[in-house]
Amino acid sequence: MSLERKDDHDHEAWMEEREFTRLETAYLTVLMWLDKRLRIVDYLEILENLYYKVNMQMPKSHTEQYGLDNKFWYWYPLYALGSFSTLAYIVAAISGALLGFYYSPGATGASGNPTMAYESITFIMTEVNFGFMLRSIHRWSAQVMVAAVFLHMLRVYFTGAYKEPRELNWLIGIVLISLTLLFGYTGYLLPWDQLAFWAGQIGVEMALSIPLIGEWAAQLIFGGFTPNPATLQRMYILHVFFLPFIVTTLIAVHIAIVWMQGIAEPH
Amino acid sequence: MTEDTDTTEARADGGGTGIVPPDDETPTWSERKARKQGLARTTYEYFERARREDQQLRQESDYVERDVLGFPAWPHETIRNLALTSFFVGAIVFLSATLPPHIDAPANSGVTPPTILPDWYLYWSFGLLKLGPLNPDLALLGGQKLMADRTFGVLANLVVVGAIAIVPFLNKGSARRPVEQPFWASVGVFGVILSITLAVLSVKNLFPMDSHLTFDLTFLVPFVGAFITYAVLKSMREGYMFELNRRYYRLRPPK
Repeated sequence: MSLERKDDHDHEAWMEEREFTRLETAYLTVLMWLDKRLRIVDYLEILENLYYKVNMQMPKSHTEQYGLDNKFWYWYPLYALGSFSTLAYIVAAISGALLGFYYSPGATGASGNPTMAYESITFIMTEVNFGFMLRSIHRWSAQVMVAAVFLHMLRVYFTGAYKEPRELNWLIGIVLISLTLLFGYTGYLLPWDQLAFWAGQIGVEMALSIPLIGEWAAQLIFGGFTPNPATLQRMYILHVFFLPFIVTTLIAVHIAIVWMQGIAEPH
Repeated sequence: MTEDTDTTEARADGGGTGIVPPDDETPTWSERKARKQGLARTTYEYFERARREDQQLRQESDYVERDVLGFPAWPHETIRNLALTSFFVGAIVFLSATLPPHIDAPANSGVTPPTILPDWYLYWSFGLLKLGPLNPDLALLGGQKLMADRTFGVLANLVVVGAIAIVPFLNKGSARRPVEQPFWASVGVFGVILSITLAVLSVKNLFPMDSHLTFDLTFLVPFVGAFITYAVLKSMREGYMFELNRRYYRLRPPK
């Protein structure tokens, strides 16, 4: 027994007295260290409060109320499409980050000759260990994500899940599907092969066709009136910087709203 | 604090009903409201109303205690989700292993390739760019077109996206399943078929069909599909609703 005063807030004495295991001691030490500086206990309490308020009581869903679970089971697999598009997005993000180690968006040089971007893709496909597989996974997860997103939209439409309290999420979904297509478009411009170049040409034409601000828009998005090295640079930054932040945030909001409003059940 | 009020009735001002008990110093919404003026006060008054509404809903019979009836997150849900996730990721890996992508010749501004096509998911949008023949030329302007064909095509894209966006503001009510709302289901089928026919229109050079016929069919086929859907659902509807109503009235017999 020491002569030092032990009050309610003497956590170390409390730890000695309780004789925790080593794991518990380590965990508590870290928790206390963080809590002393950040007061995370307050935030944990808020989270806990939120969790219980959301989960304790919910109205019976239509299917529960009228015992329809066994009647509409065939809708349920379609309810996985939203998760599948998120999963494909995660797979694409991981494989894309790995591809980013080897890719460089340089397109300067005489036309017809392989540029730096093109050569880094051929390097990935021929030299890097599992590089071909990595590019394949990235490309396929993107394709699968777009397909899943389209089917997800159809499911939401045909089960009437966009109806009244959920209009906002429908609108966010439309923004997300457009951004997904933009993701795909900026992505397939990156190899800077013939397809990329001429797809870029179509994009520039579309931007130029906007009345009044067409030329300004083409300059802003494509950095010129024909596909050029600046175009590739811009598509790269859109693809690996702007779109990931925006799309990830919007997906988080989209899912948070689903969590708050509950899943629109088939009935 | 107003302790003299009936304590058996749950309070609905954020003070008493929380599952995690607030400590003594946490002001209730009524107390916070009392200190506010203007808009802030109106906000708290609304919070109180919303809380009361919530409380009433909770006391109604069709509320369930999820904590008791819920399906455990661990291990049931977690293992099911892990299984689904690994199956799905495995499917992607399988696809990438069996159907690897290829790469074209390097970009060359001097050589236009015979076919220029985007990825498949942009075909519908690419098809919309080819709607030039629909662009009206105005006699008022001496047969001039009001906007260039390419502007018309880009505008068509915006119109499609806008049309999808306003659906929830046009279609209200509690009907959910296609049989309950044949009109909106046929609108949906119209959209799906139109996106496919537009995709065909975008590859019309490669399609073994007269290009004028393709153009006409692009807009005819969706209407045909929509009419068939409408007719089928309309005739299914009576039987479906009969079943549903019988179920409903068995559970809740009319008074």
